[in-house]
Amino acid sequence: MQPTPKQAAEAIGINKSISRNVGDQLIRLVLFLAASVSVVTTIAVVYSLSAETISFFLDPAVSLWEFLTDRRWTPLFGESQRYFGISPLIIGTLNVTFVALVVGIPLGLGSAIYLSEFATARTRRTIMPLLEILAGIPTVVLGYFALFFVTPILRDIIPGLNLFNPISAGLVMGFMILPTISSISVDSMQAVPRAIREAAYGLGASRVEVVLKVVVPAALSGIVASFILAMSRAIGETMIVALAAGAKPTFTFDLRETIATMTSFIVQAAKGDQPAGSIGSRALYAVGSTLFLLTLMLNIASNQIVRRYAERYE
Amino acid sequence: MSVSILSDAERKRIEGKRRRGKAFVAVTAVPVVLALLLVATLFFDVITDTVSWQIVEPSQTTASWSFSEGFAWGNTWENVVTKELEARGEDPAAVLNNPEERRRFKLRNRVELLWSLNGQPLRYVVSNSRDDTVDNIGVFEGFNNQEALLANLRDGQELRLNPWLDFAFLSKNASRSPLMAGIGFAFIGSLWVIGLVILFSLPIGVGAAIYLEEYAPDNRFTRFIELNIRNLAGVPSIVYGILGLYAFVRLFNFEVTVISAALTLSLLILPVVIIASREAIKAVPPSLREASYGLGASKWQTVSRVVLPNAVAGITTGMILAVARAIGETAPLLVVGAAGFIPRAPSGPLSEYTVMPIQIYAWVGENDPEFANVASAGIVVLLTVLLVLFGAAFYLRRRFERSW
Amino acid sequence: MSQTVPENHVTVRTDPVAQEDALVAIDHLSLWYDQFQALRDVSLTVPKNQVTALIGASGCGKSTLLRSINRMNDLVPSVRVEGKIHYEGAELYDASVDAVEVRRRIGMVFQKPNPFPKTVYENVAFGPRLHGYKGNMDELVEKSLKGAALWDEVQDKLNQSGLGLSGGQQQRLCIARAMATEPDVILMDEPTSALDPIATDRIEQLIHEIKKDFTVIIVTHNMQQAGRVSDRTAFMHLGVLIEEGPTDQIFTNPQHEMTENYISGRFG
Repeated sequence: MQPTPKQAAEAIGINKSISRNVGDQLIRLVLFLAASVSVVTTIAVVYSLSAETISFFLDPAVSLWEFLTDRRWTPLFGESQRYFGISPLIIGTLNVTFVALVVGIPLGLGSAIYLSEFATARTRRTIMPLLEILAGIPTVVLGYFALFFVTPILRDIIPGLNLFNPISAGLVMGFMILPTISSISVDSMQAVPRAIREAAYGLGASRVEVVLKVVVPAALSGIVASFILAMSRAIGETMIVALAAGAKPTFTFDLRETIATMTSFIVQAAKGDQPAGSIGSRALYAVGSTLFLLTLMLNIASNQIVRRYAERYE
Repeated sequence: MSVSILSDAERKRIEGKRRRGKAFVAVTAVPVVLALLLVATLFFDVITDTVSWQIVEPSQTTASWSFSEGFAWGNTWENVVTKELEARGEDPAAVLNNPEERRRFKLRNRVELLWSLNGQPLRYVVSNSRDDTVDNIGVFEGFNNQEALLANLRDGQELRLNPWLDFAFLSKNASRSPLMAGIGFAFIGSLWVIGLVILFSLPIGVGAAIYLEEYAPDNRFTRFIELNIRNLAGVPSIVYGILGLYAFVRLFNFEVTVISAALTLSLLILPVVIIASREAIKAVPPSLREASYGLGASKWQTVSRVVLPNAVAGITTGMILAVARAIGETAPLLVVGAAGFIPRAPSGPLSEYTVMPIQIYAWVGENDPEFANVASAGIVVLLTVLLVLFGAAFYLRRRFERSW
Repeated sequence: MSQTVPENHVTVRTDPVAQEDALVAIDHLSLWYDQFQALRDVSLTVPKNQVTALIGASGCGKSTLLRSINRMNDLVPSVRVEGKIHYEGAELYDASVDAVEVRRRIGMVFQKPNPFPKTVYENVAFGPRLHGYKGNMDELVEKSLKGAALWDEVQDKLNQSGLGLSGGQQQRLCIARAMATEPDVILMDEPTSALDPIATDRIEQLIHEIKKDFTVIIVTHNMQQAGRVSDRTAFMHLGVLIEEGPTDQIFTNPQHEMTENYISGRFG
């Protein structure tokens, strides 16, 4: 009978340092616990959000129907004037996100095409870090810039524009999400095989035709994923909105009006120091849950698309 | 006299295509230029906002005070002012305990940290050279309308250029008066918070990365952890604030302290740290590990003596960028209750705190227009810190970029 | 046996191509990648509606020569070219000629099948659309797929991804795609090297069939293949065109020692 490798090893005394093995097992356990922190974090996020959100809906003053359909959101007001319809916050968020995407998508995709396909390697090496700096500017600084620099200029151009408005916030946010769109799109365009580009060149396509008719379509899923991720970031962005778009929940599609977003409401409620367990505090968690679910769905969609696309050229 | 290989019509088509192609390339370069222009404009705007013109009137108090010999580093504001008033022959209690008197004193006097070559190098000096401010005018507006402004000055008034970001700004602390406000406490607060963030997130983040790269079996739970980390990286930062509010502020009862902030931000940057560390560990070639095992090293010996030393540059780069993100985060800290104005400098994990971005946010929210200048001075300090960190990260990345 | 080529080597030509049969005339062409000279003073006349094979060991410059005929090498930033390629009275490397024009008339099939991640139909229609084809696209697609002997296999899958076909089918799709732009010349860069013997056989038959409509220049390092498909063969070594002539001549009675060594498998 053949000895197993383990038996063989023991026979010649390799496996005798048991203490070393125990040490290794202990280290393995510690590292495993470190990795588990992320799982614990997720559970904690979900638990903290849902516990208070459930309390929110169990409150006799609130109904799920009202939450979904009412067009007024005033949970921090006195009891007689309280309304709990989240739609103004959703609409406000969409207003800002819309402006951000209108600005960010063409700019992000354009710069990605330039950096991936037209710029020399040297230009790319110089510009990419600068875009990273743009991505790294704290959003409170971008909010300051939107409020004190962009808004005054816009108010000279657009009549009836409020001091706090989604256009100014969205414009600056468009630049904030530009590096996200750009870097993911560059990656997915660079992943398009050379062979396919050459095939197009061989058919008499010009450089631009290769880019527009072959590279961009082939990288489309990655590009779309970058748009979705950027949208998720715009929805979750707080400081630019809190500083430049205001905190007045309004059900309006007029981009000149002061609005409130889900995030700016959360800031407002938190700053107001709502006592734990009050309806105002619970409203904060309910809005937080909505925000969390919305961004989670977008992130999962974006990840799914990227994964499917990654398999395609394997 | 070249002969074309194509028909004239087709040649023309291609000619047109080439022209349009050139235009297209130029169009795609525009967003890049715009983005760089925005960054440049932002820096320019913020920096020029740190300077403003002020119309000032001489203080009504007649005593003209020359600089005192100064007070040692480490004195509190109250401390310095008390001693100063005593030296001037006034009653400190009468000034400091009367809100009206106190405010007037603050408007007309500045406690500044100065550098001096004789005696103690760093000392606090109380100056009453500051006058009552009448008006605050933007730096360019002031240049453009200088003549009109000068012509309209009333008797005794003066037009001065005030640099808000001076050496004293770094040591001054929270104040309701723009002239008195500085970023001192916030800077110290940021140091405390970030110090703790590094303490928490570095070992956990790197540990998790080592586990996932070197130890984890390829099973469902591992994939679940990976999925988790990816999704956590996309959770809006404000949601971490809600978690922090629920767990650290209320459940663990840490309240509004440095440790609540640090724990919240640690969870926030943990996914970034893990992802960056995994990349760095992955970049260490398998041949090095095999060599180590070949010499009879155990798994942990291989990881700690071969893999980590070779991944340290990448991990450091990722850590610096993550820390840079934590330094600039505002939203989650607003939710966990950080305030813009605190009475004392943070002195430990359990003390009250403010950090630079929160301080900036609080200043932007103030009504006095001068606070916009103060906020911009704060922003310049914050951006300077971040640029130093980015610079370090880029340097490390270039320096240690290896092709194995 | 010497493997270096003397500086002053004069290409051995058997039965040279007559002026009136010529379509592409490569005229003293030299090419550098940075400092490295990949082609040394190559002159070769390619006859119309025939198959010309370029053979030689790896790195001999045969692919580089092929790719310089439709100026694919322009895509490599460090390339420098001297000499001329005459084509129907025009000069392909003239400053007034756009590489895009050249590729419009001289199509290419690559070593590995490289269909676009689009449907079969879109793959074939890609070139004609690019060049503003005005006729009936469905007919052109069908004609091209038939020309590439692929129609019977894919007529039900026109709207499926080209990447879903087998390797041999993909390569024939690439040939159909090249044919659809109706070029004069089709360059083939080792078109069967990634395929199994049966798929290879089909492609070789196809090459025979299409030469009545197209002039084919094929690079191969499979000498049997060169023997089977080509009318004329050119042997290259270290960037130099050693010998060229009718295929049967080259294979049965090579004039130059190096050609003979290569043919008989003594190096390469």
